[in-house]
Amino acid sequence: MSDVLNQTEEIVKKAKSLGADEVIAKTTFGKYRQSRFSNNEIDTTVAWNDYVTDITLSWKKRVVATQVRNFQNVDGQLKQLFEIAKVSKENPMFGGFAKGKFKYALSSADRKVAELEEPSEYIFEAIEAAKREAGQDINSGGILFTKFEDVYLASSEGPLGVDSRSAIEFSIRVFSQREASGHSVECSSTLNGFNPSRAGMEAGEIAKLAKNPKVGDEGIYDVVLAPLFAGSMLGMWASMVSAFNVMIQLSIFVNKLGQKVSSEIVTIKDDPGPYAVSHRVFDDEGVRTRENVFIDHGILKTYLHNTSTAKIFKAETTGNAGLVVPSPWNVEMGIGNISKDELFKETRRGLYLTNTWYTRFQNYVKGDFSTIPRDGIFLIENGEIKQSLKDLRLSDNALNLLNNIAGISKERKHVHWWGEAHPPSLAPYLLIKNVHMTKSK
Amino acid sequence: MEKDIVDYALEYARGKDIEYAEVRAQNQKLEQLMLKNGILEAFLSSVNSGFCVRILAEGGIGFASTNKWTKDEAKAVVDLAYRFAKAARRKDKILFAEEKAVETTWKVEQKKKIEDVDSETKIKQFLDVDKALTSHTVNVPARVFECDIHLTEKYFANTEGSRISSFVPKIAAFGFITVVEQGKSEQAFEQFGYSGGWEAFDGWQITEKLIHDANVLKEVITKAKAVKPGPMDLVCGSEVTGIAAHESCGHPMEADRILGREMSQAGRSFIYKGGSFWMGTRIGSDVVTIVDDPTVEHSYGYYKYDDEGIKARRRHLYKNGIINEFLHNRETAAKLGTRSNASSRAVNYDREAIVRMANTFVLPGDMTEEELIEDVKNGVYMVSFMEWNIDDKRFNQRYVGREAYLIENGELKHPVARPVIETTTLKFWSAVDAVSKDLKFDAATCGKGDPMQGIPVYTGGPSIRLRDVYVK
Repeated sequence: MSDVLNQTEEIVKKAKSLGADEVIAKTTFGKYRQSRFSNNEIDTTVAWNDYVTDITLSWKKRVVATQVRNFQNVDGQLKQLFEIAKVSKENPMFGGFAKGKFKYALSSADRKVAELEEPSEYIFEAIEAAKREAGQDINSGGILFTKFEDVYLASSEGPLGVDSRSAIEFSIRVFSQREASGHSVECSSTLNGFNPSRAGMEAGEIAKLAKNPKVGDEGIYDVVLAPLFAGSMLGMWASMVSAFNVMIQLSIFVNKLGQKVSSEIVTIKDDPGPYAVSHRVFDDEGVRTRENVFIDHGILKTYLHNTSTAKIFKAETTGNAGLVVPSPWNVEMGIGNISKDELFKETRRGLYLTNTWYTRFQNYVKGDFSTIPRDGIFLIENGEIKQSLKDLRLSDNALNLLNNIAGISKERKHVHWWGEAHPPSLAPYLLIKNVHMTKSK
Repeated sequence: MEKDIVDYALEYARGKDIEYAEVRAQNQKLEQLMLKNGILEAFLSSVNSGFCVRILAEGGIGFASTNKWTKDEAKAVVDLAYRFAKAARRKDKILFAEEKAVETTWKVEQKKKIEDVDSETKIKQFLDVDKALTSHTVNVPARVFECDIHLTEKYFANTEGSRISSFVPKIAAFGFITVVEQGKSEQAFEQFGYSGGWEAFDGWQITEKLIHDANVLKEVITKAKAVKPGPMDLVCGSEVTGIAAHESCGHPMEADRILGREMSQAGRSFIYKGGSFWMGTRIGSDVVTIVDDPTVEHSYGYYKYDDEGIKARRRHLYKNGIINEFLHNRETAAKLGTRSNASSRAVNYDREAIVRMANTFVLPGDMTEEELIEDVKNGVYMVSFMEWNIDDKRFNQRYVGREAYLIENGELKHPVARPVIETTTLKFWSAVDAVSKDLKFDAATCGKGDPMQGIPVYTGGPSIRLRDVYVK
């Protein structure tokens, strides 16, 4: 393993000797497996291995990058990189790469995840769990994904580190009828406690409850969001805290540092802790990752930074590099003070939304957007689920939603699903007041 | 491209108890540059190279890929794919529709070879776009441009004897701008795409298009009025026609979606056997014909053979308002008793090929756009859109106009602020009573698959007129 780190360091030294001002090389040996299933049967299992070194260097404030695979043709790639740098343009906003030595936490990655070559049993067990909940006639589909990465990073500015990153993710959507479905996920960084049957059971429960849906009515509702839906919203808000997205106005948080951006009960942070499927001990500059509270009791405290964006905003890097675009790793909403059941009880007339997809904006700065609830949509009356609904769209504003959060559950779940509930998050049930719902006419 | 490794892998796979095997190898040169507010953030240049093996055995499919070009690695990925295929333990065995073997070589010609255009020129041309925008009278404080170039060499071989080599250069550009006037902002996103050489850049007219967008956004801020909600006529420009064709025709006509294979991600389809909509059912008026055609020369979604080695052709999806032909790969075609129509595509060697659109568009009619508008007493002309989405059965959709105008007694009036049409696929296409003759395309990246495979497509069409739809 140290051979790989040595080879990675050698690239940095070579680039420096060729005249680079600053260099970062990151080698990833990744092993990925995914089984896809639908109609209760496995459609395919795919494996992809990747052996790649990302090299980024600056020369007279020109930033250029390349990739080499298996340490092949490093000299040729570096030579080409310098040719590009010489005709490239200066980036006066480039603030350099992070400087200094960092002490990293030991990785808690689970190597057993990489040895899980035939995961079919997990899938079959989860489908059976769903059938126990929603009946033998269900139709289910989903994925089981495993990841194991060894990551070696060397920087001319000091950081040097090795990390291992493991994850296992299961996603299942269960149809009890053609238009009645439930979706659930089970996500973990290790095999410890990983229980896909739990997701099968939950998806089955929702699917059963969702039977015989009626077209919902337009209007303004109090809504309870399940963790999968809340995870989508957390991902949306967190991506808008990236300083890069703020600078290009892909964000509702432009010029709002220090201001109230949500109700006071809301605290949201980014933290790629050991449980997270996106767990890591350093970012792409080699800065030690950490907890970053970006909304603290309703106040926007910070953007997420790499070294360059931090300099622009006169701040410190938050350990979220992306060498160009800082990114959230794992979003956590602060724990609430009432139970999920109490959250429902507080809802006299509202909707329970279990999942969503296709979130799109009219204007990112203003925050006007819509998203389409899918899977179980339920009418709540006097705290109880009264009717399964369908064909509704949430058409509102991303800032309004934050400000109208009226309840956060004590229960939280680690969720990550496809590109929708992304990045991963630790999401509660949320009660949001006065949400606009629309439908086709 | 080490074809001997590919052939070795295939021969090794042939020695196993399999129904079918294929090896798809790819060598891709990538260049990517990003400008943020007039500054070149970074320039990426790399080569991505590897191959995959897909095996059908005991009615199950296994797929494995690697970027290590060695015979040992080839054996390892074949063994893995074979093991995965057998582990599926399917009751309903997967079959592939029969196809003839093909041996051919094809490529996309470049008038101005991308390889001959130096990096400095590429950067300068985008900086010039930025400069033009900042020296324009409209205030555009946030501007982002990205250019992606992929030079892709492929070699496909299967156990049925197909051997297909290809070379496709693709170039894409993206622009996102924010206009601020009177303390208010509006935003626009534009995408450009082309299969071919650097001649694409001049053809796109990025500067002109973005300056137009900046002017439009300023007008939306300063002059636009809200539309009075209610039933009215709606004229959709080609951009809106195109997105509607893509979302509410192309996607629901993907046979893998119809058969449920994408159910937990992109979803299913309102079209299914035993339901209200199936082959031969009316879904629109008889002036609506929507095709998907990979063979449009130099289009962003162009290909001559798909990633299963099937020759591409035009597919008539909705024909005169009737559901006519699904998009198929070999697996879905076998399941529905037909032949593949070459819709199998993958974004890279390490992703499985799945059913995809190429260039989806409404066929033009014989009217001019002016004639469409002349015959509208009360309505909206929606030229372009910003927000859009559709549910996962592809039936309930919403498009929010970016550039839009009120139509009164056949004449265009003031700009309309963000008009919304939120309706069903059936209502949308049934309301079309006239189609103009001017066919235009827009580049887009279509998302599907898990892991996500964003694939190049065109959306497009002429302008269309919808009668008596609810606009708010």
